[in-house]
Amino acid sequence: MYHLTLPNDIETIPQLNEFIDGFCEETGISMDVCTSLNLAIEEAVVNVMSYAYPVGTVGNVDIEAEADKNVATFVISDTGQPFDPTKKADADITLPAEKRPVGGLGIHLVRQIMDSISYEYADHKNILTLKKKFNKQEVL
Amino acid sequence: MINITEEKEGLRAVFEGRLDTPAAVKAQQEIGSLLENADKTIILDCTNLEYISSSGLRLFLSIRKEAGAKGGNVIIENINENIRKVFMMTGFFNLFDIRNA
Repeated sequence: MYHLTLPNDIETIPQLNEFIDGFCEETGISMDVCTSLNLAIEEAVVNVMSYAYPVGTVGNVDIEAEADKNVATFVISDTGQPFDPTKKADADITLPAEKRPVGGLGIHLVRQIMDSISYEYADHKNILTLKKKFNKQEVL
Repeated sequence: MINITEEKEGLRAVFEGRLDTPAAVKAQQEIGSLLENADKTIILDCTNLEYISSSGLRLFLSIRKEAGAKGGNVIIENINENIRKVFMMTGFFNLFDIRNA
């Protein structure tokens, strides 16, 4: 089990990217899948950093990563206000530029990249579980 | 993060490294001249851009919207395979003139 705790400050996102890179390297996840995971997890974590806690208050986001033979599981949790990102309507990516809202692409990317997304609120925590299948590479 | 230079028909903005969330927030402060010149041609040069998050996409989209409103056009040059995938997932190929050398 790999674990990282970050404050709700987007300037710490490079630490998240390092964490995901290290996790992928040690579990034999290819560069290609690793880049997609970096993006999906960044989007999910930024969402928590931006909206879970009232503006001006400090709070944490916890990221746990685990891999079995061919599934990587990420659990992202926070103690902020209850919010289920899986309920958010998906972005309409067929709209022309002038009709496109500028937001909403983050959760869309999470949905596109991950194989499953589930949300629960338990023990005063938002808990988002993301899974991605992968083919293990030989660890050199 | 962004290096903006004048060219014959408009402006060229060269992006480098990772356009992750904090980088895109900083970049948002640097695109004033692009938005002001959105009636011309704006080239977003991604030759050395490795990674883009939704905040980076938002930045590109805001430039595209401004150009649409002012009658300019936006060309995106030389995206790598990862960024290509992100553009596929978000329908960005329909929004931009994308040119790869």
